[in-house]
Amino acid sequence: MITVDFTVNGERVKLDVSESARLVDLLRETLGLTGTKEGCAVGECGACTVIVNGKAVCSCITLAAGLNGANVITIEGVSKNGELDDIQQAILDHHALQCGFCTPGIVMSAKALLDANPNPTTEEIQQAIAGNLCRCTGYQQVIDAIADAAERRAVQE
Amino acid sequence: MPLFGDKTGFDVLNQSKPRIDGADKVTGRTRYAADYTMPGMLYGGMLRSGLASARVVHIDISPALAIPGVHAAITAKELPNAKSWASYQYLTDVVRYEGDVVALVAAESRELVRDALEAIEVEYEPLDAVYDIRSAIQPGAHAVHEEYPDNKFSQSVYRIKKGDVEAAFARADVIVEREYETQYAEHAYIEPEAVLAYNNPNEGDMTVLSSSQNPFFTRRYVADILGTSMNRVQIIQQTLGGSFGGKEEGVGLAAARAAYLARLTGRPVKIVFSREESFLESAKRHPFLLRYKAGITKEGRIIAWQGTQIDNCGAYNNQTQFMNWRANAHSAGAYAIDNIETETFGVFTNNVHGGAFRGYSSPQLIYGQEQFIDECAAELGMRETDFRRINCLKDGLSNATGTTLNTVTLSEVMEYTLAQTDYENKRAKHAKQTSKEYRYGIGMAISHRSCGFGAEAPDASGAMLIANEDGSVYLNTGLAENGQGLKTAYAMIVAESLGVCYEAVSFYGTNTHSIPDCGMTVASRGTVMGAQSVKLAGLKLNAIMRQNAIELGFFSDTAKIEKACGLAEGSLRDLVVSDPEQLELKQSEFYLKEYPAYRVPFGAVTGSGLWAGKQMSAFEWFTPPPCIQDHETGQGTAAPTYAYGCVVAEVRVDLRTGYVDVLHVTSSHDVGTAVNPALIRGQVYGGIVMGQGYGICEDMEPVKGKCVCTNLDSYIIPTAMDIPEMQINLFECDDPSGTYGAKSVGEPATEAVAAAIANAIANATGKRIRTNPASLEQVLLGKKLR
Amino acid sequence: MHQLQYACPTTLNECLLLMKEAGAEAMPYAGGTDVMIHLRERASCVQNIRLLVDLAKLEPLHGIRLENGMIHLGAMTTHAEAAASVLLHEHAPFLAAAAATVGSQQIRNTGTIGGNVCNGSPAADTASPLTALYAEAVVASASGTRNVPVPKLYGRNGVELAPGELVTEFVFPSFAGWKTSFIKLGRRKALAISRMNVAAALELQDDGTISSARIAPGCVFRSPDRVHEAEELLIGKAPSRALFAEAGQLSSEEMIRRTGVRWSTAYKQPVLEALVERALLQAAGLPLEE
Repeated sequence: MITVDFTVNGERVKLDVSESARLVDLLRETLGLTGTKEGCAVGECGACTVIVNGKAVCSCITLAAGLNGANVITIEGVSKNGELDDIQQAILDHHALQCGFCTPGIVMSAKALLDANPNPTTEEIQQAIAGNLCRCTGYQQVIDAIADAAERRAVQE
Repeated sequence: MPLFGDKTGFDVLNQSKPRIDGADKVTGRTRYAADYTMPGMLYGGMLRSGLASARVVHIDISPALAIPGVHAAITAKELPNAKSWASYQYLTDVVRYEGDVVALVAAESRELVRDALEAIEVEYEPLDAVYDIRSAIQPGAHAVHEEYPDNKFSQSVYRIKKGDVEAAFARADVIVEREYETQYAEHAYIEPEAVLAYNNPNEGDMTVLSSSQNPFFTRRYVADILGTSMNRVQIIQQTLGGSFGGKEEGVGLAAARAAYLARLTGRPVKIVFSREESFLESAKRHPFLLRYKAGITKEGRIIAWQGTQIDNCGAYNNQTQFMNWRANAHSAGAYAIDNIETETFGVFTNNVHGGAFRGYSSPQLIYGQEQFIDECAAELGMRETDFRRINCLKDGLSNATGTTLNTVTLSEVMEYTLAQTDYENKRAKHAKQTSKEYRYGIGMAISHRSCGFGAEAPDASGAMLIANEDGSVYLNTGLAENGQGLKTAYAMIVAESLGVCYEAVSFYGTNTHSIPDCGMTVASRGTVMGAQSVKLAGLKLNAIMRQNAIELGFFSDTAKIEKACGLAEGSLRDLVVSDPEQLELKQSEFYLKEYPAYRVPFGAVTGSGLWAGKQMSAFEWFTPPPCIQDHETGQGTAAPTYAYGCVVAEVRVDLRTGYVDVLHVTSSHDVGTAVNPALIRGQVYGGIVMGQGYGICEDMEPVKGKCVCTNLDSYIIPTAMDIPEMQINLFECDDPSGTYGAKSVGEPATEAVAAAIANAIANATGKRIRTNPASLEQVLLGKKLR
Repeated sequence: MHQLQYACPTTLNECLLLMKEAGAEAMPYAGGTDVMIHLRERASCVQNIRLLVDLAKLEPLHGIRLENGMIHLGAMTTHAEAAASVLLHEHAPFLAAAAATVGSQQIRNTGTIGGNVCNGSPAADTASPLTALYAEAVVASASGTRNVPVPKLYGRNGVELAPGELVTEFVFPSFAGWKTSFIKLGRRKALAISRMNVAAALELQDDGTISSARIAPGCVFRSPDRVHEAEELLIGKAPSRALFAEAGQLSSEEMIRRTGVRWSTAYKQPVLEALVERALLQAAGLPLEE
């Protein structure tokens, strides 16, 4: 076991993990943050996407042991005080979800994109979520929703 | 016939209401089966053979049991009924495909499960095997099951015999004959199968939290393996992370195994499939070998149609008999032909089983049929549009099953789509391209699809509505939210029929202890037919509640009514409200038809009603009118009504690499009534992209029974970068058959896409690909490399 | 499965000593996008690993810098960093382009160029431009460093480093002024493994003729390599469609000569021709068709 000391959704977490533990297991099993999903375990589907130090990563292929000092945001850390974030609200408004299993990962990829690039082109949106496979929506309403979320953010600023 | 938007008279339907489950899903609060844990919980795991055909000569589980933390390890010998109620094996010592399970273990962690599985020693004796349709039907081929010596799955044979085909072929001016072949395709829902089984005596012998598409189907497996009665097994369906027909048998088997291990160990057991296991044991889209022959007059009328449709069942009985019913009913496509003879049957092979997958055979059939129509038109030297205009189904004409059809919107849907896409001009222009690098193509496909089960199975369902004292309403029914938005659509139908606000309704999925088996949520029947009982229950409770409102005296005080309506005092003194027909209940308010300004909140009546002991709930069962077909000829009534669609695809083909870029897809559908237009658009967008994957890049590629692609890195589904521009046209019509006039759309959305793409590729390249998908190699070389 | 140990050294010295000590039982851990998958699969390459050495905190392995006309690209540079690097866009634009095609945003955010190369797959997208750049890998161990041209890292079974060795950076000359291109053919537009790819670079003289050429196809040879005859053909000639078509043909011929005719040759032969031709046209700024 090895001790990791890092931040999850703004809260400091210090715990012992197995040397080979994956971040997705630490989040889901140790911390009970089950909003992060596992779909393929090989970094392909993006259902397990979380934000580590500002960047979207697949938590299924992220070693928990390497997280000392890291700042991790999961889907549970996106909405503030029970209020939906602009991205979540836009996804809801655009019906950009169906089964919802890929949705948390898509929200995280979209958040990482908009936090770094507030005014993305359609292609940049597509690039940002290309690592989030969705079998239900055909992506169109998702892309529309993220573009809309960018506009909503711009209006608020 | 109007495009969406002209229907009137609905209070709630026909609007894009937000999803009832949306907020929980965007925040990650929604629970899927894999999200549960319990104290003392063990993990279950399966040892899969990895061989296509073999016999277990020797198996030793003792090394697994010797590992501390491993609580159980069993083989087929230890399981009293290793063969399931269907023909699948929970465990087996005769391996018929690579996903067959030869041992089960339960251990304290997932790592220990793996250690235990690796520790089990197995010695196999390889057996002969048969892998594809053509070799399975050869005389003397290895028989996958002793009971089926020629590998022909006899229960899955269906025929259409309409008119006199032989005579019609003799009269035909042109006869065209072609063969098409489709591949194994995987659902690739993003949530792998998951179950958690535990015993709580307060709930029965076994409770399973599961990712079931149909919890009643899962219950059959669990009761079967435990040898217990169904009233002692509780399946609580969890939110499904996609299914598309796939979470039926695989989840049933997983639930049964977990339940058995839970009973054996006395502890909760959770089984979550790895993606690879999901690929190995979930049913696939069946490969089909399709042979069609048409006799056509020189004017372009198809007068004779012959077809042989053979599907690869894989190793086990897998709904092929039901799927082939549908394949049979649709064996002549969307065309009115007087003389038809087709045969459809399945064959067993040593591959993963086929099964239900969005379309239930139609994407395969339409892939062949709609290319065949283009090829026939080309043989005649006729435009394929005109050829379709002549032959497609119209009012008063009959389809393959001999059903005379009404409200056939196909021509209008098709003409609108062709005009919108400038199809004929583009088609002619593309035929003249000379580029040796990239060429553009446009192609079309049309479809007609029976809505709901029809003659395949009884399209019955039940629903219970409960109005609570606070005016909130709870729906309980047995059909399932797969992600398509069924809960939302059902809540809207409750709101419409009962007359309450959409926001007042909740529906949290199915618990088998609480509602009768309503059949599977398949066949695009959820809204069209499954919701009929929801509507009936709503209408019934509406009448009950109006009666309650009167009996509880809410309309006895005429002075209040006068005041609210701005009428003179005493003017309504003679008004007696005693007949519920005088009242309306809409949007959670009661009012008099004659004096609508006086409103009584729904919650006021329910609040009083509870304490007055009034009935405030209703259960209704819907039995559809009979659909009866003759088994020998397939003639009769196959379905209550049909949905019609037209898809036009535009592609760019890289002539030098074989890469097909799907640039634009226009998808038009007659949805009858658009219950929730935004949900429907979501279905159609998703259906287009799923069809694109099927037509271009998705292939399990089994090589000698072993699938080459077992995860999402090698099984290629489209990403957000790959999607075409999409244009969706929704048409509505007045066809009373479905709930509030709704027609199916979930499966129509995907069934014709690959065919339209294939036709577009042929337009671009001048070369016809008759083997799906249009992969790099297939397009460039006209063959697969493996 | 062995109980793994984990170390996160903060200096290169410390790291190399750890790796020396653990020898063949040590596995360097960069972005983890491959190692984590191997661990999950209990793959043979990790069967004997007892120590994961996390390279994240090793300063010298990070960053891209220009020094005396040479680009030093830290092995821990992520694909996302490479794709966005202003320096690379000026001095090796096709390497930035190749990095941008790898996997998905999530993979590019964690996966590193060093890992992409050292995983040893013939489909590694960045290996093709690195080969075209004549990039050398700086291989460090407790006993010193050696520079190895990228193609020479590969043995029979992919990249073969001695126990205790680590690629710390790639060094290559600035290609500012060259015209470069990278073309990737996959089965989809993202999350795609290269079916084949081609990195091409041309240096033109004032009279418009080609003075130097580099053509490095991926997924063609056992390890990344250039197609020499095709390169030589171009020297001294002016870019033209016919010339590049011939270079494409020569490339395919060289592939068949060196790898033999295999099950995939029927496809690869015409497609490599096309990709080489297109990569050269794109580099030279010529249109695909008249």
